[in-house]
Amino acid sequence: MGHGPRRMSDRLETDGRVNASAETPSAALRRLAEANRLVSDFPTVCGIVARLAGPELARAGRLLSRLDPEKLHEAHPGLPTVTISLTGHGTIGAMVPALTAELARHGMIVRPVLAGFDSYVQVLFDADDHLGPARPDITVCVLDPQVIFDEVPVPWRPDDVERVAAAKLDLITNAAGRFDAARRGTLVLNTMTLLRGHSAQLVDHRSRARLGAVWRDVNARLLRLAEAFPSVIVLDLDPLVAAAGTPVRDERLSVYAKGHLSDDLLAAYAAEVGHVARNVAGRTKKCLVLDLDNTLWGGVLGEDGVEGIEVGHSHRGEAFLGFQRVVKQLGSQGVLIAALSKNEPDLVRQALRDHPRMVLRESDFVRVIAGWGPKQEGLDRLAAELGLSTDSFVFADDSPFERELVRREVPGVAVVDIGDDPALHVTALLRDGWFDTREVTEQDLARLASYRDDVARASFLDTFDSVRDYLRELGVRVRIAPVTEAEAPRVAQLTLRTNQFNLTAARLQTPEVLALLAEPGAAPLAVHAGDRFGDQGLVGAVLTRRDGDVLRIDNFVLSCRVFSRAIEDAVLLTVLRQAHEAGATAVVAGYRKTSRNHRVADFYPRHGFHETDRDEDVVSFRHTLTDLAHLPGHITLDVRTDGSPL
Amino acid sequence: MITLEEFVVLLREELLLPLTLADAHRDLHEVAGWDSMHLLWLVGVLERRAGCVLNVADLFEARSLEQIHTLACSAAAPA
Repeated sequence: MGHGPRRMSDRLETDGRVNASAETPSAALRRLAEANRLVSDFPTVCGIVARLAGPELARAGRLLSRLDPEKLHEAHPGLPTVTISLTGHGTIGAMVPALTAELARHGMIVRPVLAGFDSYVQVLFDADDHLGPARPDITVCVLDPQVIFDEVPVPWRPDDVERVAAAKLDLITNAAGRFDAARRGTLVLNTMTLLRGHSAQLVDHRSRARLGAVWRDVNARLLRLAEAFPSVIVLDLDPLVAAAGTPVRDERLSVYAKGHLSDDLLAAYAAEVGHVARNVAGRTKKCLVLDLDNTLWGGVLGEDGVEGIEVGHSHRGEAFLGFQRVVKQLGSQGVLIAALSKNEPDLVRQALRDHPRMVLRESDFVRVIAGWGPKQEGLDRLAAELGLSTDSFVFADDSPFERELVRREVPGVAVVDIGDDPALHVTALLRDGWFDTREVTEQDLARLASYRDDVARASFLDTFDSVRDYLRELGVRVRIAPVTEAEAPRVAQLTLRTNQFNLTAARLQTPEVLALLAEPGAAPLAVHAGDRFGDQGLVGAVLTRRDGDVLRIDNFVLSCRVFSRAIEDAVLLTVLRQAHEAGATAVVAGYRKTSRNHRVADFYPRHGFHETDRDEDVVSFRHTLTDLAHLPGHITLDVRTDGSPL
Repeated sequence: MITLEEFVVLLREELLLPLTLADAHRDLHEVAGWDSMHLLWLVGVLERRAGCVLNVADLFEARSLEQIHTLACSAAAPA
């Protein structure tokens, strides 16, 4: 999987600009702003913004928030545009530039919709009236301690706070429930931090402790909304406040301008929302690619030897061990872990296998690439072997040289700056929620094993003369059945994560899949696959609906891990045959072009569909069901679509 | 302490507004592109630059950039 056309060096050659690395990111941004090229060069702008932090990132946000999102979208239709509506109790205008900067970091455009001051309850209850035709992908409702304390009488006791908070939480719960039922996309809420300015108003420790307990109950109720309503995400602000000593608020701005949360905290909040937006746009990172020497262990393996590297047993060794534990923890939740190291392969294998204190072993890695080639080539190779795009990689390396090289040569990769002190590796890795997702599915838990099965399949392939022989021996099994409620999260995840075999790139969250299950006429089908090496689980979905005597295929997604086995052919033919048997006169389907799904542009025409309409990026097809091809012989099919309208 | 001219340049860079010296004497309502959010950002920017605490209530009462400059300078000057 090459990424040649995107190489920074190519771009620099074609537009004749000077090497951008000579100037600071802020200066580069200023230069583009002065040349009036922020809109036209927005992808470059995004790359620059990805290098900024703190006040510089905030300033970039202020600059970019003045650009017209519609013009950006028009100029760069390939970049995801996410509509985010903002509401809350206090002044939250600072969220707009903060979100603009965060989404730009991720190569995305934000279309902000700012609701009126303190209108959050109305917005959540009557989203249609307040948000109009905007249909936000994400609604952010910023809560702050004044939500409660503005209504607490003076003088007050903890019981008063408890009473006010209970009523407020009832209201918020109802509002969140209404929002969830209306299926208006994702709702983001947050916990509220207890301030000393409130707790210290109570002079006795007993009451102060009771206030603390009451307050935690309030936050616990807020956090549980995420369990009650599938479309709700509740951000816990406590870890954000604790992380960098971020002040919760500036008392002066709170009093004078009703800005109840500080700009720094809103910026940290926006960073979290940025990762929610990544997820909504189907851009969650999938694979963590780690350097080894001085990243995963201390020292240089080639010089210090397997016995000499630092893992446990020393201050630095303990720090590396701690980092390995965190990597293993990420891996246990479906994040693929790969190693990419300039080292002798045998020595690396030996270290991972034989070092007595190593937490991460060979079996924890989906791939270990050790050698002397440039790291950007290693990343391309890894992408090709895993069937993933380099855009889904997070790369962590202690060498500034390697990081810079990867930033410049493979721009879609997120680069984590690992420093010299291993005690700070975990903080660096977790600072950004690269792998944040709505929920972890069973598929996530089994992901490593199934990618490793692919390795076995690949070497098995080497022993056959033809692909046909290989497929016959592979014993591919495919089961097609209506999507069940329990499968809805996985189907949603497939629409969100799958980019290459995704015919329309329509992204669905779990509640939207659940809504489809209940919709009359709609028949979402789940595709399960397996073979002699293992079970791949739910690998695809076909979203069909009966429309009179026509069957519509709204979308078809298939995990890239089961490509090249003709599974997609078997599934489509099954859908066509079933439609025919059920008396349908035609099957209609569409293809919407994205930057990543070109390999399926001819999927429908290859299977006897003819084109009926063509817009710029959308092609419509129709199959008249008069001539149906044979099913591929090497696949054992198990079709369970009884009772569906097919 | 910085001159009013330098102050306008600083604002131009930090707030990314096309400000001129003439704007400094205008009522804030008449400064093109100005809105109340800028004042909130300015508090953070000026306090970080000057390393001192501004009187925000006074700042919110100011009607022109010139008045803001005077307030910022008096806060930054050693007592």
